[in-house]
Amino acid sequence: MEIRVKSQLGGDGPEKIVVEKLVQSFDALTVIDRISLKVAEGEFLAIVGPSGCGKSTLLRVLAGLVKPTAGRVRIDGKDVNGPNRRHSLVFQEHALFPWRTVFQNVALGLEIERQSHEQIRQRVTELLALVGLDQFPGYYPHQLSGGMRQRAALARVLAVDPDVLLLDEPFGALDAMTRLTLQDELLRIFLNSGKTVILVTHDVEEALFLADRVIIMSTVPGRIREVIPVTEKRPRDRGSANLAGLKRTVLGILGLEPVIGNVRVPETNFSI
Amino acid sequence: MAERTGTAEAVERPESLSAWQLRFARVFPYAIAFLAIVAGWQVAALIFPSYLIPSPGSVVRRLGGELAREAFLITVGRSFFRLSIGFTLASFLGLMVGLASGVWPFFRRFTRALVSILQSVPPIAWVPLFIILLGFGDYPIILVIIIAAFFPMAVAVMNGVEQVEKLHVDVARLLGADNKQLIAKVYAPEVIPSIVTGAQVGFGNAWRSLIAAEMVGGVNIGLGWFINFAGEIADMTGVLTGIVVIGLFSAVLDGYVLERLKRRLLKWKYV
Repeated sequence: MEIRVKSQLGGDGPEKIVVEKLVQSFDALTVIDRISLKVAEGEFLAIVGPSGCGKSTLLRVLAGLVKPTAGRVRIDGKDVNGPNRRHSLVFQEHALFPWRTVFQNVALGLEIERQSHEQIRQRVTELLALVGLDQFPGYYPHQLSGGMRQRAALARVLAVDPDVLLLDEPFGALDAMTRLTLQDELLRIFLNSGKTVILVTHDVEEALFLADRVIIMSTVPGRIREVIPVTEKRPRDRGSANLAGLKRTVLGILGLEPVIGNVRVPETNFSI
Repeated sequence: MAERTGTAEAVERPESLSAWQLRFARVFPYAIAFLAIVAGWQVAALIFPSYLIPSPGSVVRRLGGELAREAFLITVGRSFFRLSIGFTLASFLGLMVGLASGVWPFFRRFTRALVSILQSVPPIAWVPLFIILLGFGDYPIILVIIIAAFFPMAVAVMNGVEQVEKLHVDVARLLGADNKQLIAKVYAPEVIPSIVTGAQVGFGNAWRSLIAAEMVGGVNIGLGWFINFAGEIADMTGVLTGIVVIGLFSAVLDGYVLERLKRRLLKWKYV
């Protein structure tokens, strides 16, 4: 299935990511079956779908952590053939190093780049301020709340300034309130940076609140089921009728009967 | 904008125990064990004649006398010298082999095979061979210590590397780490707890093999020799003095020095 490049932010940017007939199988199990996809530069793409639909695997392929079984993945016209700091991934679990402080965790990528102490100190200080952790540079991950850990993980990836930010259910393990705050902050960072973002999430509202397009995947094998453009201007009102309507559409496609009040709405033909 | 609400309860503090309470909880079991040994010994000394089992008091007096004698200090110093060279080399080699085994699967299978073949041989069994190869003196003893301490370190580190969080490796690779940086920034710190375990087990092995090798290795200086020689002249007070020194040394090194090192290296765990 070919998907048109459509970006609300900055119009239709040039193609940043091109996925062609990607197949990913592990032994006999085909996790991703011929997915084709184009993402524009500066676009925010969300991917939703049931567990096991291969959305996390897709991100790992894009990040270069997994080699595709078949098909091509290109970023900036170049084949992805390994991890690269230009396209980095934030994992569902924060994956912070427990033996490093917040500061040292955020500094990791800069150390790997062999930047000077002074450069690292400056950049990390900036980033901690950006994600609201400026009061906690000396804390260890186990001393922080879940939201703060995820902020640190985000800052660690932002430190190497990737142009493609891959987010694998980054807020999935957080409580509802913290999740909303972090969505706001992610949006702020996204709007100020012009980065291309792909967000994998279980949370349909999160996808609709943040993304330019929402891709709905089907499970085993993972295929693209539907693509929903979200044209509403940012910042979006989480309670707007438009988003609520889109949510109903998405849930319908996912086969989850939307519930309004206490009344079950029977399955209808949702047109897009 | 920022999530400030979580700030107050974000920092978990363990229930505070006073420093004195913590120290007491740590030291008390040692004190009880120590008293039990001394009591058992005293009872045995009352039953047997003093030329067979001298009393703790007489051994303490002898120890005081020995510690004032230069020859005794030199003999203890020499044991210590052999131990530190052998243990340091073994730990270093074990660490390197263990790390390499973790990174390269082929090397891991090789090391596993090596360990399963060689680990069953008690290090002391090598002494006759090494004496003929290297002659009498420090070298065969040091080599025995290396063999004794190498395997626990290599095995602990190898297992530690295998248990390294895959996610942490992925994170570092995504941030552009090459193999060298993966070792320095992920494997090594992740493996430090295993290194400490390997060092503690290896140290126990090294210390026991040192004394054994000195007893059978044909040297004429060292704690093992001291005990052996005292035994040959039926000087039971001397034998027990040597044993007490061995016990005290390893208790201090293992229970204090290595424990302190562990707390220092794993500082983040104790915050």
